[in-house]
Amino acid sequence: MIGVSANGLVMRFDGVTAVDDVTFDVAPGEFVTLLGPSGCGKTTLLKMISGFLQPHAGSIRLGDEDITRVPPEARDTALCFQSYALFPHLSVRENLEFGLRQKRLSRDERRRRVEEVASTLELDPQMDKLPNQLSGGQQQRVSLGRALVMRPGVILFDEPLSNLDARLRDQVRILIRRVQRDFGLTAIYVTHDQSEALALSDRIFVMNAGRVEQADTPEALYYRPRTGFVADFIGGANILRGRLTAQTAPGEWAVDTPIGVLTARVDAPRRGAEVHLCWRPETAELAADGLPAQVLHRAFQGHFTDLAVATNGVPYRIQVPRTQAREGDEIRFRIAPEHVVVLEAGP
Amino acid sequence: MTLGRAAYILMLLSPGIGLIVVFIGAVVYIAVAQSFGYYNLIGESGFSWSFWIEGIDRKSYLRAVRYSLYVGLTSAFLSVALAYPLALWLRKPFPGSMTISAILKAPLLVHGIVAAFLFLNVISYHGILNQMMVWLGIFDEPRRLQNDEHAIGLIFLQVWKNMPFALLLLTGAVQAISDDVLNAAQDLGAGAWQRFLTVIAPLTVSAMQASLIIIFIGALADFTFQTTIGPTNERSLAQYMTFMKDRGRWNDAAVVGVTLMALSLAGSVLLAVVSRLAFRGRRK
Repeated sequence: MIGVSANGLVMRFDGVTAVDDVTFDVAPGEFVTLLGPSGCGKTTLLKMISGFLQPHAGSIRLGDEDITRVPPEARDTALCFQSYALFPHLSVRENLEFGLRQKRLSRDERRRRVEEVASTLELDPQMDKLPNQLSGGQQQRVSLGRALVMRPGVILFDEPLSNLDARLRDQVRILIRRVQRDFGLTAIYVTHDQSEALALSDRIFVMNAGRVEQADTPEALYYRPRTGFVADFIGGANILRGRLTAQTAPGEWAVDTPIGVLTARVDAPRRGAEVHLCWRPETAELAADGLPAQVLHRAFQGHFTDLAVATNGVPYRIQVPRTQAREGDEIRFRIAPEHVVVLEAGP
Repeated sequence: MTLGRAAYILMLLSPGIGLIVVFIGAVVYIAVAQSFGYYNLIGESGFSWSFWIEGIDRKSYLRAVRYSLYVGLTSAFLSVALAYPLALWLRKPFPGSMTISAILKAPLLVHGIVAAFLFLNVISYHGILNQMMVWLGIFDEPRRLQNDEHAIGLIFLQVWKNMPFALLLLTGAVQAISDDVLNAAQDLGAGAWQRFLTVIAPLTVSAMQASLIIIFIGALADFTFQTTIGPTNERSLAQYMTFMKDRGRWNDAAVVGVTLMALSLAGSVLLAVVSRLAFRGRRK
């Protein structure tokens, strides 16, 4: 196992900065996801790690080795492409063997590795087929297998599930995580799908406008987002501007917001300071003595009901397990102080 | 398929295929028949092996066969070898790539005889090349460059004229290979040459075969370039055939003509098979 680190990476295209001073560390055996909207620089960052793009500034290290100027074919990385990128003229077996032949491994070693990976990925019956004779899920498994047989220090995934239907996506997602753990691989995974990132990752780097906004565990990102962008991108939080008015308990402050007074835990409070708050819709609880809100829209989702509500003309969402509230009804709710997060920066 | 439907399809195809079959068939028939003594324009007609036996026995015939094969194969291989890197270079558009591509394909618009005379002007005793060489101090005095005995000038001209055709075919084939496939090969450790051998060539082998065969057939049967700038100590098969015909030896000319057709066919099959075997791999 080997780790990856980057220091001050910058990449520009025609004067537009796609990656802006990005620094990170990925520990050996860690599964890290680069998450962000289209154009945030996540694929550009992945291409720099794989060697297909040379950064304008900064450096990349694989373990102790500086690989910033090392060409892709000489890097101890393997990339799984969004389009699978299988060689259309080669059988599954030949696709799997391709990299091993470049490494000039012996025939026995090639066969051993290919059979091991084919067995793990349940590709044995497909070995003599051509890629165009395989389903999308099978092609993705071949793509994954082709990377795995190389036993790379770091495996890179560029939105590998985006061409699969929902059912296959779940299957391959579980497979990727299992294989990454079993083979003890360091993995960097690119996606714009936050549920995929939350389900797979040890840590997520949320990217916005070429920068890493927050690098944290999925739980920390979800429950303790640092910025409005992260709060909104991961799970869709309610974000409000407010002012600290009074301390209500040790470490807890009342915050005057457009929808009423909320209580939040604040680390370094300053009376009168303006803050941005966020909370998750599902942390709201219906309570007779809570804040009032008018139901604008109701959507029953099975195990919860999603309510679009408004207070003083400010719209937001709450999700409750069971309610009879209908459009136009007034409800009351409260949010526990530990669920109200003070953000470092607004949206 | 019913008999009526088959007849209907055959009838629809007959204006196109029928004409081709009639014209090609007639030419091949006359040439083959004439090479065996039929349709003798200056003597008695009748079946005879003598024209073939005498023809093959002539040193000049074998020399013409050898020389035409040399010109045909060398021109085909060099044209394709030169077209590949250019096709790969022009695979992705970049500022000026359209202009470069147009300039590279310009020889397609220049007629062979015009190209030959242009080339002759460039390499002639008082031509631009000699003047430049003398000016650069590489030559002490102008040298005779035209009609060189190894046909280097002729092959240069064949490549100049035919490379754009190969480029035209290969550019489309190379552009059809996705970036991801090439990147995947590189990511898996394949250097530039390995990427060419293991991915690019197998995926473009059909265009490669077409280029090799069409250029080979054209260069094998070359007359214009050979008579203008070719070596004076060698005769191409086309030149040899004309030589025979000009002397009224129609049956001998037919032997050379049939040889030319047979070599075209055999060479084409050989090139197709060799290129397929060299870049083994199953196609989509």
